Amino acid sequence: MAETLLDIAMMHSDHLIARAREGDKNAQSRLVQLWYKRIYNFGYKFFFDHDLAMEVAQKTFISMHKNVESLQEVARFKSWLYTIAVNYCREEVRKKKTRRSVSLHDLGPGEGEESYRWEESHQRHENPERQLRQAELSDLLQECLMQLSEEQREVVIMKEYEGLKFREIAETLNISENTVKSRMYYGLEGLRKILEQKKITKETIGYEL
Amino acid sequence: MSYKPDDGTLMAYLYGELNDNEKEMLEKYFAQHPKEREKLKLLGDVRNIMSHAQDKEVIAPPVFAGTDNSRSLWQSGYFKISLGIAASILFLLMAGKILGPEISYSKGELRISFANKPAQKEKENLLNEEKIKELIASSLASNNETQKSIREGDQKKLMQTWVDMNSKKIDMLTQSASQASQKQVQSFVAGLQEQNLKLMKDYFQMNATEQKKYMENLLVDFSQYLQEQRKQDLQLVQSKMNYFEKNNSQFRQETEQILTSLISNPVKNKNNY
Repeated sequence: MAETLLDIAMMHSDHLIARAREGDKNAQSRLVQLWYKRIYNFGYKFFFDHDLAMEVAQKTFISMHKNVESLQEVARFKSWLYTIAVNYCREEVRKKKTRRSVSLHDLGPGEGEESYRWEESHQRHENPERQLRQAELSDLLQECLMQLSEEQREVVIMKEYEGLKFREIAETLNISENTVKSRMYYGLEGLRKILEQKKITKETIGYEL
Repeated sequence: MSYKPDDGTLMAYLYGELNDNEKEMLEKYFAQHPKEREKLKLLGDVRNIMSHAQDKEVIAPPVFAGTDNSRSLWQSGYFKISLGIAASILFLLMAGKILGPEISYSKGELRISFANKPAQKEKENLLNEEKIKELIASSLASNNETQKSIREGDQKKLMQTWVDMNSKKIDMLTQSASQASQKQVQSFVAGLQEQNLKLMKDYFQMNATEQKKYMENLLVDFSQYLQEQRKQDLQLVQSKMNYFEKNNSQFRQETEQILTSLISNPVKNKNNY
């Protein structure tokens, strides 16, 4: 993943976190600006639902505002923030289970829908269409991700998309590093089988994009 | 020595989080077990495919935070409280000034007054302590006397009325008791019996006359009913008789006609047979 200015700013935000800890509201709002996209995308990949991702992101940053002053170490800010986000994700999962509702995203493709539009398209080098195919591919991969268990999914997202180290994930989830690696291994194995079932390979993706 | 990496080591290798020693050992292991390397490569391919799931663009909501954290002296709680106390004291002083209070302490008495005192002073000059005592004593004595006389009069009146009432009641009771003799009782009982007899007699008389009337009416109605019935029967008999007579005459006429026809056409009748 190419590093953007935002990523660079996030990596060098120690001074900002220190100021936020001292109660500087400006620094706190800057931190929201820096981390909002990451936390939203973590929630989105976890739920594959915009509304729930927004809910989790907002709750996470409200909690950050309230509790950042009690943060022990500046270096642990990242795992601390993801811990809050994970807890809210789990809370939403519990709520979802008690509501017993079925999201449209949870429904798999029906009969005759095995072949996706991104596979059928053969026109290339047209930017809007390429963007559309990319969005459809993202959704398809997201659906694969949704088939993993919640425990494996949160580890895979944190490692693969959020770029956390195994140690940081272990800190975030309050489990051992070996458990994290084990979940990651089985998560990737699971994804391999799902992709195989859906006949998504490196070659098909390379051809389509 | 047989070395076999666990899942954790493989993952650490895949994500480049393995130290040099472990990495070297794993490389050797892969050189001996190319299938294991292939398996890990497949997981690497999965990573490669999954990396195509892109982030969604989202705009962080605006956060409104105050720029200055320090609060001014005017906004502090202590300042507000002290200002309130000062305002209250000032109000009391102003009120005191307007009402003209006088505070004095003499003989263990604290006096706070809001009016001028000269008139009171004049009065104090006119009435001294002895005079006031005398006045109080005389007024008390006269009051006691009048109270005593009123009380005595009331008591007398009450006694008189009570005695009168009692004597009257006793008289009435004795009179009624003496008058209630045996004869009176007997006469009362006899009167009661007579009354009862009379009532019974009247009742039976009324009853007998009513029954008589009823029977008479019944007989009259019955005789009327019989007469009516008889009249109807007679009418019925009459009509029946008329009917028979009519039938009889008709029959006779018919037979006559037949006979005449038979007599007048003997041949024709013979042919018919």
